[in-house]
Amino acid sequence: MGNPIEDEVKRELEQHKILIYGKGTKAAPRCGFTLETVQFFAKYGQPFEVVDVLENMPKREYLSKMTNWPTLPKVFINGQFYGDTDVLDEMERKGEVKPLLDAAFGG
Amino acid sequence: MISNEAIESCLRATMPDAVVSITDRTGTRDHFSIRVVSVAFQDKNLLDRNRLIYHALREPMADGRIHAMELKAHTPDEAGVASN
Repeated sequence: MGNPIEDEVKRELEQHKILIYGKGTKAAPRCGFTLETVQFFAKYGQPFEVVDVLENMPKREYLSKMTNWPTLPKVFINGQFYGDTDVLDEMERKGEVKPLLDAAFGG
Repeated sequence: MISNEAIESCLRATMPDAVVSITDRTGTRDHFSIRVVSVAFQDKNLLDRNRLIYHALREPMADGRIHAMELKAHTPDEAGVASN
C-alpha cells in the first residue's frame, strides 16, 4: 500500500513546474516567507502554485524528511528541491534562476 | 525567545570558527536574520550550507525558541572577513 502523502506530493510535483509548499495560499499567504516566495516568482511571470500545508502536520513532516529541510516554505522547480528565498535570492544574484526557469518551461 | 549568545553557542558547537551576526527582525526575539561565516561552508552548496545551520540550531527550532530565520552563509574568503 503506497503512502498516500507520498503519492499526493508526487502528483503535485508533476502538475506544477514551480511549486511552493507554504503557510497559506497564493492569494492569502499567512507567513512572511511564503509571501516573499510568491513575490519572488511573480517577477518571472511563469505559472506557479502554492500548496497550503500550514495545518497538515503529517504532510509537513513527510516533506521535511524528504528534503532534509525543517522549515516552510519549500520550493520545488521541475520536481527538484531548491529550499526557499534564502537560496533563491543567492541564486538570482548569480543569474542562475532565469536559465533554470527557461529550461523548466522550455524557454 | 532566545538570546544572541545562545544562538551563537549553538552555532559554535557545530562550527567552532563561526563569525555570527544576528538581527532580531521583529523585536520578539524569535524571528531572526542570521549571517554565519565559517570554513565549514567550504565546498558546500547553498542548500547544504543552510542545512548545516538548521542542524546546529535544531534544538531551539524544535522547542519554538526560534520561530523563523533568514539565513546567509559564507566562507571567510567569500565574506572577505577573517573568521576568528
